[in-house]
Amino acid sequence: MVTIFGKRIRLFRPRTIWIRRVVQWFFFLLIALIAINHTLVQNGSGIPILSSASLHAVCPFGGVETLYTFAASGLLVKKIHDSSLVLAGIVLVLSFLFGPVFCGWVCPLGTVQEWVGKLGKKIFKRKYNHFVPARIDNILRYARYVILIWVLYVTTTSGVLIFEAYDPYFALFNFWSTEVAWTALVILGGMLLLSIFVERPWCKYACPYGAVLGITNLFRVFSIKRAESTCKADGACSIMCPMNIPVDSVKVVRDHQCISCLECTSEAICPVAKTVVFTTGDVK
Amino acid sequence: MTITSKPLAVIVLVIMFGGIAFSSAMGWWVTESTKQPVTFTEGDFAGQANPADIRGSYTFGDIAKSFDVTPEVLAQAFGVTEGDPAAFAVKELEVISLDSGYEIGTVSVRLFVAYYTGLPFDTTGQEIYLPQPATDILLAKGNLTSEQIAYLEKYKVTLGASAPVAESTLVVVATSSTVSEENIVKGKTTFGELLAWGVSQEIIESIIGAPLPDLAMTMKDYASANGLNFETLKPALQAEVDKVKP
Repeated sequence: MVTIFGKRIRLFRPRTIWIRRVVQWFFFLLIALIAINHTLVQNGSGIPILSSASLHAVCPFGGVETLYTFAASGLLVKKIHDSSLVLAGIVLVLSFLFGPVFCGWVCPLGTVQEWVGKLGKKIFKRKYNHFVPARIDNILRYARYVILIWVLYVTTTSGVLIFEAYDPYFALFNFWSTEVAWTALVILGGMLLLSIFVERPWCKYACPYGAVLGITNLFRVFSIKRAESTCKADGACSIMCPMNIPVDSVKVVRDHQCISCLECTSEAICPVAKTVVFTTGDVK
Repeated sequence: MTITSKPLAVIVLVIMFGGIAFSSAMGWWVTESTKQPVTFTEGDFAGQANPADIRGSYTFGDIAKSFDVTPEVLAQAFGVTEGDPAAFAVKELEVISLDSGYEIGTVSVRLFVAYYTGLPFDTTGQEIYLPQPATDILLAKGNLTSEQIAYLEKYKVTLGASAPVAESTLVVVATSSTVSEENIVKGKTTFGELLAWGVSQEIIESIIGAPLPDLAMTMKDYASANGLNFETLKPALQAEVDKVKP
């Protein structure tokens, strides 16, 4: 740390939250291995110790999809298991505390989009993640709520996981399976292609689970907060934000798209200590 | 209180896996179905597994645990020649049969198991196809009624170009496209579908003897949840559906 013009600035700092990458890798490998093991067990072999649960059983969004049916009749939508409800509850607790930390730290689909996005960053440099005009982008950001309502409606009225046929997450970890619909594979391919231009396009514009969790940004216990008294207003936090949130123009990030990745904080890109922080208290 | 990335990572992992461990301890962490069909609740077969509840996720091995039929017989009946028969999932049949143009899937396995074991199974209003090897096995067993034999003859299909196609099969092909579009009450039919087909709420309630449940609930789930036999509800519901058919 050095003090320049009365402000404490860290000369050597990590530019990313490296521990987040570790956690993302961990969950990606865990889910990938479980999905592979599920197939192996169906074929008469399998990896000992490792769970062979279906992808539906370890997806918390299944808990959201079946919630109405479960509340109304005590039954679960076909292919959904009790574990999905448990995971949905756990993720909800995490989200009440920290916002959509599941999206930023755990979800393997978000992780894969980030990996592809690195290629886009290399190709397009600063232009990356800024291709969509703001006016259109602002409207598209709410499309995921439309998709959420549609998914809940068709699931509730049919009792079937219709979204499975369009779900890139299911396609990502089952592309070798005959259970995957071509529509889901096309959406997965399109999403990966878009990730070269836009960071986390599925999360921003289409993810129905992100839509649910994003609401917790409005009242989460820990929030991203910016201390105006020490802020250099260099805009680094906003540039770094994968979800294009203008962190440098707000005191508290309440944006429904924040994924609690902490990449904007003083621990990562912000050069001034204790200026952009993840906290429960007030900052000045 | 301010939190940084490393404590947050630990908290995320602890809450995720701690929550799973807690739910496991409470018996809430269930990641698969029991693979055990419901049993008949009344009649001569009370207590025995009901073949109508065989699911697509069951393997031939799962079926063998509940019914007196071996995975090898099932594999022979449905032309499964590769891999371990006991590990073959019933839902895979639908993939194998795609080229045939027939729906040979879970319901076909249910029918075969029922006829093979002599357990009750209602085929009223249903066109359930069985491949010829399955039909041959059932006929060779010799425990079928004349109605069951007639049903098998009507809906047997020969899969594969090299196999001879029975004349009766060709007749089925000609009629199946029109019949399959009709509204047939099945276990997976939801109450919402019944309403959509034109059966009034009052009639449904009079048949089930209770207020209309959640519209997404299937007939099979409703019957299971209320201790009813779906096979007894089905004819009455189908009759009402037939009345309002366009």
